[in-house]
Amino acid sequence: MSIISILFYFLSFLAVGSAIMMLISKNPIHSILWLIVIFFAISGHYVLMNAQFLAIVNIIVYAGAIMVLFLFVVMLMNLNAETEPVKNHRLQLIGVVSGGLLLLVLLSAVMKTKANLPVQMVVGEEGLIQNLGKTLFTYYVVPFELSSILFLSAMVGAVVISKKD
Amino acid sequence: MNAIVVSAFMGILMMFTGAFVKNRAVPRYLAIAGAILLFLANAIELKQGQPLFHINIYDMLKTSSYSLGFLAVMIGCLILLFLLSGEDIERVGHDVGEYFALIFFVMCGVAICATFNTLLFLFLGIEILSIPLYILTGSNKRNLLSIEAALKYFLMGSFSTGLLLMGIAMVYGGTPNASFYIASIDVGNTATSPFIIIGLILMLVAISFKVSAAPFHFWAPDVYDGAPTVFTSFMSTIVKVAGFLAFIRLFENSFGAIHKDWQKLIVVITIATLFIGNITAIFQQSVKRMLAYSSIAQAGFMMLALFALNDRAKEGMVLYAAAYSIAAIGLFGIVSRMNEFTISDFNGLGKTHPVVAFTATIFLLSLTGIPLTAGFQSKLYMLTSVVENSNQVWLVIVAVIFSAISAYYYFRVIQAMYFKEPNTEDPVELWNINGWFKSVLILLAILTIIIGIYPEWILGWLYYW
Repeated sequence: MSIISILFYFLSFLAVGSAIMMLISKNPIHSILWLIVIFFAISGHYVLMNAQFLAIVNIIVYAGAIMVLFLFVVMLMNLNAETEPVKNHRLQLIGVVSGGLLLLVLLSAVMKTKANLPVQMVVGEEGLIQNLGKTLFTYYVVPFELSSILFLSAMVGAVVISKKD
Repeated sequence: MNAIVVSAFMGILMMFTGAFVKNRAVPRYLAIAGAILLFLANAIELKQGQPLFHINIYDMLKTSSYSLGFLAVMIGCLILLFLLSGEDIERVGHDVGEYFALIFFVMCGVAICATFNTLLFLFLGIEILSIPLYILTGSNKRNLLSIEAALKYFLMGSFSTGLLLMGIAMVYGGTPNASFYIASIDVGNTATSPFIIIGLILMLVAISFKVSAAPFHFWAPDVYDGAPTVFTSFMSTIVKVAGFLAFIRLFENSFGAIHKDWQKLIVVITIATLFIGNITAIFQQSVKRMLAYSSIAQAGFMMLALFALNDRAKEGMVLYAAAYSIAAIGLFGIVSRMNEFTISDFNGLGKTHPVVAFTATIFLLSLTGIPLTAGFQSKLYMLTSVVENSNQVWLVIVAVIFSAISAYYYFRVIQAMYFKEPNTEDPVELWNINGWFKSVLILLAILTIIIGIYPEWILGWLYYW
């Protein structure tokens, strides 16, 4: 077993394990910290696939910005044992059943696919920042520019929502 | 392409108007002019067959005269909405220019949804269309219901966006050579990878959410009820119809070969939508909420186009878009001039406001699907397409029964307007019913009748080239 396979399995178990921990931990702050661990594990996967830029951006955007936002929201909402909403067992059951069904479908798809392509690591140069920039500003330039409308509308919206009436 | 560029430009222009122009009426006139410009730009592209801007987009956007014709119908409805309810947009709050800017950004998303050829653009279109709507829903900041609706819409909408993205990722991984182009997903029945099937189901769920088809409709009544009425009018007509256009484009081009397999899912969604929309609408006392549920019911009828997915269904979809949007814009326009929305507030409207009551009657008849109105023609096209596709007559019968049920709650409003005495001690005031408002209402009613008698007038443009 090469060092890359060992790293791959380690990161995979880390990601899945911390995802489960995120779901089952009672304290919302702990959930968020576990989520950060997931993002680091996924960034590790990106590095293994030779996509360094994506790995760094993933950490900066998700583990940096989004997580801080989540923490702020959780702190502002002041979640603690007294304000915890009453859990509806019927809804929980429905959620478990429907989520389990989705898992079943996903698993059956994975089983059906012939796994004749092993995971390829550290091959290809698509993820390098030079190639990424070239593709982004030539082939994908129109979608790239159009996504600015999305951000512009979100910015206008944020101003409209937060401005004093 | 023309419509995308012009609407984005108009959005930015409206944004600056909101910042620098103090006169509150200016944004409205500018918006009407901008909507007409948008219509003209789209018409030029339809006429010339190519956009004004020659940019190499590697076929990521693909126009056909069908998509441009459909887009023209939606932009036409936007012009009518501005003409009828422009003053109501001004009344919502202080940031008039920004509201119009957000509406134009939504139209940019609508134009992308009409012309996308890759999954990347599908996602961009649906997101550009959704995010400004969350803001418009919550734009009435003094009303708690509006804020609650915005938060609910935002949370549920983000969740469905997540499902859409996951579906796109699955489909992307399942295509033979990892391609974003929607045509490359269609690899025939035998070669379809299980991942494409999962992606299909996830995308079906996500877009059903956007068009408020049951069982993914739970956000719709509260959001349509809580949002300012004029924005409810916008998102339950033009935006919902754009969702259907994206739906048809994606499923026809990507999953056409396995149409028979997912047709069963569409049947379930259609009948559930018709059932929940119609039955719940019966029990509503507020006309605005009744229209919200009836909008779900009409979405059920539009799902029939996805079931049949032949040429007649696509024609019927355009007719349905025009008929439903015009009638709903008219009705919401009237409702937005009232302070209270209960059915008893419509009592005796036939005597106090004869023009308003008469046009409202035509819109309600069109929504029910009475002959000579646009609603009848569009429902006829939808049902014919189902029979042409698979001879599933039982589905047609079910749809007709639900259409008959819908007559109950639509006719209740007509009955209140003409056969009940006006409330004397607490008369309902309709805000600012002037000659302009009345003439636009009459224009909408005339359009409803024209499309009902002569639908080829619109359909001809779909086969321009």
